[in-house]
Amino acid sequence: MSVLTRMYRGETHFDFVGAARKTLIVSAGLIVLSLLLLLIRPLNLSIDFTGGVIVTVENQSDVDIADVRAALGDIGQAGARVQLTGEGFILIQTEALDAAAQDELIVVAASVGGTDVNAVTIDAVGPTFGAEVTRAAIQALVVFLFIVALFITWRFEWKMALAALAALFHDLIITAGLFAAFGFVVTPATVIALLTILGYSLYDTVVVFDKVDENVELMHDRYTYTEIVNASMNQVLMRSINTSLTSLIPVGSLLLVGSFAFGAHTLREFALALFIGIAIGTYSSIFVAAPLLAFWKEREEDWVVARKRAMRRRGGDASLVVGDDVRPMAETVPAAPSVPTASSGAAARAPRKRKKRR
Amino acid sequence: MNRKKALITLLVTLAIAWGSIGAMLLAGWAPKLGLDLQGGFAVVLVGPEGTDTDTLDTAVEIMRRRIEELGSVQEPEISVQGERSIVVQLPGVDDRERALQAVGTTGELSFRPVLGLVPQSPALTDPEGDHPDNLDPVTGLSHPDDVNAAIAYLPSEDGFSVYVVGPAFLTGSDMKGGRAQFSGTGGHGGAGGWVVVPEFTDEGGEKFRLATGELASYPVGSPQRQLAIVVDGVVGSAPEVAAGVSPDEGLDPNQVVITIGSSEEPQAESEDLAAILNYGALPTTFERERVESVSASLGSDSLKAGLIAGLIGLALVTIYMIIYYRVLGVIAMVGLTVFGSLLIGAIILLGEFQGTTLTLAGVTGIIVSIGITLDSYIVYFERVKEEFHTGRPLRPSIDHAYPGAFSTILKGDTVTFLAAILLYLLAIGPVKGFALTLGIATLVDVFVSYFYTRPGTWLVAHSPLGDGGWFTIRGAMGRSSRSATPTEPVEVSS
Repeated sequence: MSVLTRMYRGETHFDFVGAARKTLIVSAGLIVLSLLLLLIRPLNLSIDFTGGVIVTVENQSDVDIADVRAALGDIGQAGARVQLTGEGFILIQTEALDAAAQDELIVVAASVGGTDVNAVTIDAVGPTFGAEVTRAAIQALVVFLFIVALFITWRFEWKMALAALAALFHDLIITAGLFAAFGFVVTPATVIALLTILGYSLYDTVVVFDKVDENVELMHDRYTYTEIVNASMNQVLMRSINTSLTSLIPVGSLLLVGSFAFGAHTLREFALALFIGIAIGTYSSIFVAAPLLAFWKEREEDWVVARKRAMRRRGGDASLVVGDDVRPMAETVPAAPSVPTASSGAAARAPRKRKKRR
Repeated sequence: MNRKKALITLLVTLAIAWGSIGAMLLAGWAPKLGLDLQGGFAVVLVGPEGTDTDTLDTAVEIMRRRIEELGSVQEPEISVQGERSIVVQLPGVDDRERALQAVGTTGELSFRPVLGLVPQSPALTDPEGDHPDNLDPVTGLSHPDDVNAAIAYLPSEDGFSVYVVGPAFLTGSDMKGGRAQFSGTGGHGGAGGWVVVPEFTDEGGEKFRLATGELASYPVGSPQRQLAIVVDGVVGSAPEVAAGVSPDEGLDPNQVVITIGSSEEPQAESEDLAAILNYGALPTTFERERVESVSASLGSDSLKAGLIAGLIGLALVTIYMIIYYRVLGVIAMVGLTVFGSLLIGAIILLGEFQGTTLTLAGVTGIIVSIGITLDSYIVYFERVKEEFHTGRPLRPSIDHAYPGAFSTILKGDTVTFLAAILLYLLAIGPVKGFALTLGIATLVDVFVSYFYTRPGTWLVAHSPLGDGGWFTIRGAMGRSSRSATPTEPVEVSS
């Protein structure tokens, strides 16, 4: 039977925790790479954070960049960044300007583009406002992380909270690294996207942990923690994949539409960050948060005992190291958690009927 | 759960969701669009260091008044954000110059002698008389107000009477500010009460002494003994110079208090007056920290792009969900219309009663919430499959899966809701709009899951679409053979 069919039927027995020994190395590598990238090529912050002026005007007179530069030079704005968009707009970006200089810039832009002053779109941000936006965003982030950690600790336990936060930082750093690598502009929209990613990543992790928590109740006397985590992740695997797909599809269409429609350039940056982030977030809740938790919990005294007991019962090697049991363990991973409840009846019934048929 | 209960719950939910949105649309209500979607003009103004909240509130009031005078603005949105920023959003405004002028400068504060107090502008009661030139033809009031005019007709704050005032004795630059305080003896009629203590610059104090001396020469009780405190062409207060003040000496500017007359809320009134004095005394105009104008066409392009993206995404998701979950996919997609109706309904209501606008960030929040609500279905459906695979029959699986699924959904939504609340409270700018729709979405999601998905799925399970061929719940279970015919050996499927 193909892997896809088994996934559809919820019959997979992937050894996620075992595989995570390798994937965690990849993740760690990506994090280091991202941090290096961020050092070498700092994030390309939009004027919302740094302060500055962006003027957009329709290019009705069909001028070229040199004409615009010449006109800007006359008002002492020779250093401005000028861009002609494919849709026939002139984009001019300068440093932060005072009110009078902004007005001057608008008049020049209107005369260069051949439009009315009121048809000029301007976005001027003072450096103080940008700093305040950044400060507010960081403050929100820190408080958010703190409260989420408290919530997970309260609902589950503190080790899960730390594992979830680790996955979160993993997502954030790698997404930021990608933005640095490609020089994408970081706008308030991207910050929103990052925060959404945090939400998604956490939501995903909470779903996995919820399952683990539930399965620990049902299976703790017969299986090791790693096995329980593996079983839980196999159970939520299709949910993770489906949720990611159904989230990625709308975001993907946002990305697609945003790339074609000029007015939607904010949408495009937003969608890009979301797209990358959701994908990484799904990955991290499976390959970072849960395995970290498994490695950690296996070292707890109770679970060391549980492991020895489980191994003894199966006649296996009690001194097995965490995650080493890739193949044999895969078979011992239970298909469903409800061992003591539902399946007992069915399991007992099935052989009996089989006999009858023979 | 029985059929009757499930049916009633489902019908009530559908009636609430679809009925309310239908009623709102019939009533002609629609989400109020933000600046970035319909075009317009936004300014962020930052007051000088140390500007207090009351002063900012006064500034907001004054700006609102001025903008309303501009006309043609649909719904100005002016609010204090952060510590000393004022965000002014003027959707639909395209006259940049006038809008900037209206919000860019502080109101002009002046202390002027009252020449008379009348119920209606003298220009209206006596059109033939000798009047200043700058009168508004309809109201007969001076507009724009010139603080140095020999005579001006200015409205009182409540708008019920008109003050006739002379040229200003002193203006905002002569002031340091003012503060409201409770005085044991300084109140109305010598009893304790709230007073306002104005603070003058040295030069302003001297002007004030001369002015009050001049006014003190009029008899007690005469309107001419009153000193009008004017902000932006409106008389905010007109205290009378107390009896016993010598016309030769005037009032000592360092000892003067303005008592609040008989008033129902003397504290609020004195604080208002102090704020006016502080505001008028602001040394500079507010800094324009951010100026943003969006042309109307750019705004509608963004809206269109967002809507198209939403529709394409929705269509693709529908196809995927129906192929994967068969009839359950249909339940999810109908549920999405319930979710969408409630979410948009909430946004419309907020716009109607709170003036909240739907921004581009809000639209993206909605698109993101599609993923969040679909996840709730997926969590539930996957759990049903799981239960079913343990050998439980189909209908009990559906009942048995719900509590666990709902608990997961609740936890996930709680985390997202927390995030949304924090973002809304702490962030500024576009993030706020995003957080708002996201927060509402998580609440709606929990509601829909409990009052729509649960009874809806139950009813479908107990209909011909529950157990049967490809397009049924059984069809979506994947491993149908195992529990449908328990005679098959388990080993066959591995």
